[in-house]
Amino acid sequence: MRTLGSGIRLRYLALWTFTILGIIFILAPLAIVVVNSFSSVAYNVFPPEGLSTRWYENLAGQAAFYTGAWRSLVLAALATLGSLVIGTMAAYALVRYRLPMPNLVKAFMLSPIVMPKIVLGVALFMFFVRIGTLGGYSSLLLTHMLVVLPFVISLVSAALFSFDWTLQEAAMDLGAGPLETFCRVIFPEISVSMVVAGVFAFVTSFDQVETTLFLVRPGDNTLPIEMFLYLQKWQDPTIAALSTVLILFAVAIIGGLSLVLRNQKLPLELSGAGKETSA
Amino acid sequence: MSEALTAAAPVVAVAVPVHRRGWRQKVAPWLMLAPSLALMLYAFVLPMLTFFEYSFYTFRRGKLIEEFSLTTYRRFLFDAYYQTIVLDTLWMAALTTVLALAIGYPLAYALWRLERPWMKRWLSLIIFSPIIVSVVVRSYGWIVLLADQGPVNWALKGLGLTNGPVSLVFNLTGVVLSLAHVFLPFVVFPIYSSMTRIDPALREAAMDLGAGWARTFRSVTLPLTLPGVVAAVQIAFTLALGAFVTPAMLGGGRVLVLPLQVYNATSDINWPVAAVGGLVLLVIAILVVALCNRLLKYSEA
Repeated sequence: MRTLGSGIRLRYLALWTFTILGIIFILAPLAIVVVNSFSSVAYNVFPPEGLSTRWYENLAGQAAFYTGAWRSLVLAALATLGSLVIGTMAAYALVRYRLPMPNLVKAFMLSPIVMPKIVLGVALFMFFVRIGTLGGYSSLLLTHMLVVLPFVISLVSAALFSFDWTLQEAAMDLGAGPLETFCRVIFPEISVSMVVAGVFAFVTSFDQVETTLFLVRPGDNTLPIEMFLYLQKWQDPTIAALSTVLILFAVAIIGGLSLVLRNQKLPLELSGAGKETSA
Repeated sequence: MSEALTAAAPVVAVAVPVHRRGWRQKVAPWLMLAPSLALMLYAFVLPMLTFFEYSFYTFRRGKLIEEFSLTTYRRFLFDAYYQTIVLDTLWMAALTTVLALAIGYPLAYALWRLERPWMKRWLSLIIFSPIIVSVVVRSYGWIVLLADQGPVNWALKGLGLTNGPVSLVFNLTGVVLSLAHVFLPFVVFPIYSSMTRIDPALREAAMDLGAGWARTFRSVTLPLTLPGVVAAVQIAFTLALGAFVTPAMLGGGRVLVLPLQVYNATSDINWPVAAVGGLVLLVIAILVVALCNRLLKYSEA
């Protein structure tokens, strides 16, 4: 056991001080957005000169943000669903079957992660211009699916890696078909990872700026792009009001996720365990 | 894939279960991979090839010349203007990485040393939750935080540290601070995960042998977490190299990095220069990844 040295109290104090400073660093830029959204003036000033809800009223009148939010939600939902389906299939193939050069195939499937997003966005723009599908919804959707696919594949294959495959063989031997085996034996075991992958995919798709910037037609902007372009023109707290709504949205996701994962291990420990078994 | 299908097709007619199983074993994984591979081909491989192709074209007097030449490469690599952009990009990424590590390492350490599970849970939630808030929102938060009349300047003045406002935003300082904030979770995660893999017996042994906390940290904890640090550097540096939103929003036009140059060139329909800039960025990123992988192998051995 640890011996109680004289410096131990001091060290704990230092650790705690640092932790609290770190938490302030992490939360301050989010907290200030909420404070600023209730400011009564259009410029950034602290402490606030007065309180008002005028920016929320202004936000309510900005139709571009509504349509942008709706577009982003639908796009993120479709991209998440699509990438979960094809990504789980790919992960299954990567983990369960013997492929020629498995590491190369896997590295290829995960390679979009290392690509700088702006490079990917511009490359997609040039390609879609050339084949004449720029501005189409399918181009946008496939782009978002591609961006989130590597995350789905890596999270789901980590879960499949630690799955006890004798269960699958037992189910097959007992006469269950491949689809039934997947739905009733494998899916329940990897569902937590799929939920985590789905949430991550949704959030990542919802937050795409660089990859999407050149692909949307003017007037058909997704929400982050609408905000990005708005901020290039104005910097009034309307964006703060909208950001506050988005932060609440994020808190709701976190809350929902921790309900789902209530009795599960934290995802960071989950994937850490996956890493250990593969090492 | 189609070759595998045609080659395997005759076997179906035999209809012997064992053979069918063998056929299935060969074709099934490719069928399952097919949608993902098709998506990769359409939305990744072909666009990247197009991008590569444009890097060999030239743009002169507002016109794109679709002829193979290395002129754009030559111009990019030997022009002092572009060299400055490349160096600024590397410098910004380096500063961001150092800052993110300076904040991330102690936080990972705190997360590791906290003894009560509920504290661990809350701290990890606080560290990781900003990931799901849009980068645009977080960058905007930093603009407000660091503004001339913002809270940070207000606090500095209140503490009597400065007289007038310090310019913290719309320059490199703001970009680096904001980027370190955005990448912090990606830095904490690999370091924390390397810490959890340390055998507690090693630290206890060091302490029992009379090593103080500092000595134990220096000769046990730090060396054993180096792989985590290298992984963190790899992630933070490559993400910082490719960062676009934050430098665009907080740079105030003063921080011209490669991603912004690629964006500007694309907007100015100078696609060849955009392509060369993007490829330079990509090559630097790949070099960093490869170098870190080398270091990782070396530090784990």
